[in-house]
Amino acid sequence: MRRHSAILTRVTAIEEVGEGVKRFTLQDPEGWELPPARPGAHLDLFLPGGLIRTYSLCGPPHAKDRYVIAVKREVEGRGGSMLLHDQVKCGDEMHVSLPRGGVPLGAGFHLFVAGGIGVTPFLSAASALLAQGRSDFRLHVMSRGTPPLADQIAPLVASGLAQVHDTTRIARPRLADMLAGAPEGASAACCGPVPMLEDFSSLTDGWPAERVHLELFVPPPLVPDPDARAYTLVLAKSGLEIEVPAGASMADALSAAGADVHVSCGGGICGTCAVTYLEGTPLHRDRCLSPTERGHKLMPCVAQSAGERLVLEL
Amino acid sequence: MLTLQPSVETATLAFTGVVRHLHITARAFLPMRAMEEIKLIAGKGIEGDRYMIGREQGFYSDRPEDGRQVTLFEIETLEALKRDHKIDLGPEEHRRNVTVEGVPLNHLVGRRFWLGETLLEATRLSIPCRHIEEITGKVIFDPLINRSGLNCRILEGGTVRIGDLVRSL
Repeated sequence: MRRHSAILTRVTAIEEVGEGVKRFTLQDPEGWELPPARPGAHLDLFLPGGLIRTYSLCGPPHAKDRYVIAVKREVEGRGGSMLLHDQVKCGDEMHVSLPRGGVPLGAGFHLFVAGGIGVTPFLSAASALLAQGRSDFRLHVMSRGTPPLADQIAPLVASGLAQVHDTTRIARPRLADMLAGAPEGASAACCGPVPMLEDFSSLTDGWPAERVHLELFVPPPLVPDPDARAYTLVLAKSGLEIEVPAGASMADALSAAGADVHVSCGGGICGTCAVTYLEGTPLHRDRCLSPTERGHKLMPCVAQSAGERLVLEL
Repeated sequence: MLTLQPSVETATLAFTGVVRHLHITARAFLPMRAMEEIKLIAGKGIEGDRYMIGREQGFYSDRPEDGRQVTLFEIETLEALKRDHKIDLGPEEHRRNVTVEGVPLNHLVGRRFWLGETLLEATRLSIPCRHIEEITGKVIFDPLINRSGLNCRILEGGTVRIGDLVRSL
């Protein structure tokens, strides 16, 4: 069944690329190009059971017909990586989000610092830079033993563009030394375990923000709305009460609660998703309802609530 | 004797435009693919396109619509976006199938007209959607209101090629 607002892909390759790490290639079922992605962009995978897991692309972004991700099997994780490792096989369909974010690759030298599986976005970034004829970057990979995706790292090491620091054999190199060794005006990016990210973050605290990048796997921030406030949406017919966080979409909240509201334009002009409200004061923000209609209808794709409670005839 | 009464009963909408670009895609969100020609099937849609009746792979396919078998867009709108809003939008980005030049699409709702050798009936204006901003990363929802193209039903099918004429009946 098609998932609304998701891209349908098929798993076309699964490769073992390190201890407990698999690389998945996702393609359109008929080989069509996929929506473009920036180097090292994030992709949400919509997994069975309602699980949503986010991974960085590790393949070359100019390979337009595929998304390639690498997943480490985390036994102590929340179940997404184990499901991918243990149940997903070649030929399976997988719904994914539009790619978002990515590693900024402006002019100048780039220093990439990765811990273990955190190397994924930088392999994509390195590939993008090489495709532009650029070799003004250096990738440092900290790993206990052989790093994941060694087959992708090896050519970079051979070219002198990457260095693997096996911390089972040598002391972990100091991030401060790596940053200090970067050329004047360099950009620095880090992806890895939380302590490494915190260390990197504090060491680059005085750097210009546009030259520092942390891979945090968080969705893009909502555009701030000074009128936004959290409120309770009450569905009169079902008796359901939905807590809508400040700034969140009412339509998304209704959809998540299973309410039967069809959104079309998503911008408050087509009138498709109109619902009747019985109590409360909406902040309308649509461009299709007349003043009279606004007395009893609202468009959940754009509307918010002015008060703490809004009752809908649903 | 001369009369100043306008002869309203004889007013017609006559135009001759040209097909400039053709695009289809197999599924929602996928980039549109430029085509030299497309095959329109009467009563169904465009061969290989996401909204072809029976295929139903489009973003809005969960709401089937008989009048959305082929969609058109004015190249003049792309020029206006550039001129008035400094937005570069390519013909592959508006996500309609046929980009035409010299065709007053907004006047055609409810009318029939020729697209190359095919006969279309315009059912309604297309409506912009936030979905397109998500895909293109460009803020184009507002500038596209009331000029987001035309939805049509295919009355007589055939092959449409770049350079074909678009003519009033």
